[in-house]
Amino acid sequence: MQKIVEVQNVEKIYGKAGEKQFKALSDVNFEVKPGEFVGIMGASGSGKTTLLNILSTLDTPTSGQVKIANQDITKLNNNQMADFRANKIGFIFQDFNLLENLTAYENIALPLALQNRPTKEIKPAVMGISEKLGLTEILNHYPTELSGGQKQRVAAARALVHEPSIVFGDEPTGALDSKSARALMDTLTKINREDKVSILLVTHDPFSASFCDRILFIKDGEIGQELKKENANRSEYYQEILDSLGTFVE
Amino acid sequence: MLNKLALSGIKHRLRDYSVLFSGLMIASAIFYMFMSLATNKSFLSANSPAAATAFIFGFGIVLLAIITIVYVNYANTFLLSMRQKEYGMFMMLGAKSSKISRMIFVETFAIGAISTVIGSAIGIVATGFVGHWLIGALDMQVKHFNSFYLPALIWTFVFFIIIFMFSAIRNSISLRRSKVLTLLKRDSQPVKIKRNGALKTVQAIMGLILLAIGYVSMWYAGNNPVFIYLGIPIALVTIVAGTYLTINSFVTAVIVMLKRNTKYSQKGLNNFTLSQLSFRINDYTKILSMVSMMFALALGAITVGLGFNNQIDNVVNGQNYYDVQLTNPDAAQQKRLKSLSIKEKNTYDYKVSGKKVYYRASEFKKQPFGYSSIDTKTMKSSLHKTTDPTKNGGYEIMNTRLPQLRMLETVLVSDKDYDAINAKESTTVLVKTNSFKNNLSEIKSISKAENKRYPILKNAGGDKYSAYTLINGFFSGLEFMGFFLGIAFLAMLASCLMFKILSGANGDVKRYNMLYKIGTQQKVLRATINKEIAVLFAVPAILGVVHVLLGLQLFTKILYKPYANIEIPFLIFLVLYLGYYFLTRYLYKKIVLK
Repeated sequence: MQKIVEVQNVEKIYGKAGEKQFKALSDVNFEVKPGEFVGIMGASGSGKTTLLNILSTLDTPTSGQVKIANQDITKLNNNQMADFRANKIGFIFQDFNLLENLTAYENIALPLALQNRPTKEIKPAVMGISEKLGLTEILNHYPTELSGGQKQRVAAARALVHEPSIVFGDEPTGALDSKSARALMDTLTKINREDKVSILLVTHDPFSASFCDRILFIKDGEIGQELKKENANRSEYYQEILDSLGTFVE
Repeated sequence: MLNKLALSGIKHRLRDYSVLFSGLMIASAIFYMFMSLATNKSFLSANSPAAATAFIFGFGIVLLAIITIVYVNYANTFLLSMRQKEYGMFMMLGAKSSKISRMIFVETFAIGAISTVIGSAIGIVATGFVGHWLIGALDMQVKHFNSFYLPALIWTFVFFIIIFMFSAIRNSISLRRSKVLTLLKRDSQPVKIKRNGALKTVQAIMGLILLAIGYVSMWYAGNNPVFIYLGIPIALVTIVAGTYLTINSFVTAVIVMLKRNTKYSQKGLNNFTLSQLSFRINDYTKILSMVSMMFALALGAITVGLGFNNQIDNVVNGQNYYDVQLTNPDAAQQKRLKSLSIKEKNTYDYKVSGKKVYYRASEFKKQPFGYSSIDTKTMKSSLHKTTDPTKNGGYEIMNTRLPQLRMLETVLVSDKDYDAINAKESTTVLVKTNSFKNNLSEIKSISKAENKRYPILKNAGGDKYSAYTLINGFFSGLEFMGFFLGIAFLAMLASCLMFKILSGANGDVKRYNMLYKIGTQQKVLRATINKEIAVLFAVPAILGVVHVLLGLQLFTKILYKPYANIEIPFLIFLVLYLGYYFLTRYLYKKIVLK
């Protein structure tokens, strides 16, 4: 079967040769299939942000290979990386990263405008995703006029509007209250199920992680354990995650 | 310990501090440059015939002082925004607010004092440099001009010490009053969005109407000098207000219109750039209108200064038709004449008898006599030819003779009558070159030699070169002031704008970083930055240029052709202004992009 993300023997070392070096990732291997909802969990400093930065072409590995949608992203130059991010990847950040001088509509339309899509394509695309995420009422508001949950949904819409191969989430619920966090995770699950969008989340929050199909645990730069949801319901899975975390950390 | 921490904080942000220091140094350097002229009374009285000059400079001092205060205020905000987080952290760690406020006081004052001292030194060097460059480039005669002038230095120090004292007090009070949390989180405080379309429309229309009133009153006052005392104040008030309203609303309206045009706005980062601009314009209205007024004043000063330079040619040409006049030239003078590029050379003989000077009428038939006149209404000089200089150009033919013969009557006689006069014959050689300016140095040496041969000429003058020296001395002072003021103002306003833009750069880092993350190419980011800063520079420049072009209407009666050679000051301005634009955009990118 085709793979969306393929990570092989990835290593990341900070610091130049001869100086004091720090190995943030060592021999990381995993893959994500189309339509999968994968979580990466780990404590602070475990290397999960480094991994996400490499996956999203913001950083390059010291060695190893990363393929996304069958393209080796470690062999791209800067412009190609930018285009790759613009076309193939959607981003949801912990602190939303909306542009506060653009309205919600304009924020969502930004990735399409960046690709210079014709105007007549932009509007239906923005309206479609906004409807799905329940944003139609607030499209003319500026981010400062929105609540945290609304902001994150706008960010999610921005990540999805250009139909990327995969959506990366960096602690997307990190800045939300529990109700908004739940609403967002429900929305992401729905989109994952209905539209077969592949999602990869990085989080240290077991609650958010319990929405994933599969969780990779990362510790000291290595992937140690994998936990699949299979037929468990969410609360059972949540319990399993807590148990794994308890044993994994020790 | 805290002092050490504060110092290490400075080390970390050396780049930001270098922006701050250079900005403040420019401010004090320019202030000194201006004061070195404005406070130098002997310079002013020696170089300007008008008593109004002292008044104009007084006005200039007030204007420059206001701008400097605004400028230092921006610099101060920049400093505070840079430091507040750090000071907030110290307070969180338990530093007493009195200690912190003392630290910011010392820091502000020290930065002010250091940059004032260095800036004044730069000012002295720059004054000398600009002064000598102008004097050399424009063949000016400027008296009592000193690049180092102690009273100006003292004024600069006193002025800057006072404003930095106030800034330091203000900073320490504002830090003492703010809560620790506000200090730590000020960056993430939300921006308020104002949306009132109707008011903006009214403002836009009002702004354009006020500008129109201002322009018409300048045009009217220029053509009817009686109204000048009414026209200038009206123009000043309406144009300042009109500029403010126009920038505040009209420019915003254009941006909104562009945003509505989705074909344009939803292409690449256009929408982002437009939004950046519309948010900026709200914040920038004051500075942009100030800059556009300053731009107009600076450009106006240079243009009018240059207008006086054009006046020199006009007046000189109106005085004499011929560039060189010689009486009984010897071999050496004849040789010098050969070095000129001659357009016309006439030789007339004359004999003096009794109270009359006799010329051969036939000589004027053969080589008509050229003379020039000035129309006092249009200030325009014109050249003519005549075969009878007793009727037209009588004054000019008198002036071609040696001074002791000038008051005698000119008489044209036939060759027969002329030969019958028993007196010594003299010869006048009159030469018109193809260009007085291009032959200036040769003409100068011929005129000097002639003065040596006839020492009586020294005080009487009469030839074109002595008229030129007189008039050049008269107008050069004005021209020098115009150029000097123009350049000083321009440097000030452009650095003001630069500072304002750079002080907002820190807040933009996050936005550009986010755009980069969602896949914007670096070159696209650079292009939007260039576009955004270009608009911020262009808006006041365009308004300023319009102000100047219409403002010159004021001078239509005073200056001969106020619009002549206007491209020269505009070009000088463009080069300097573009320099600031490129510098700003370079520094901005250094702060904002990785």
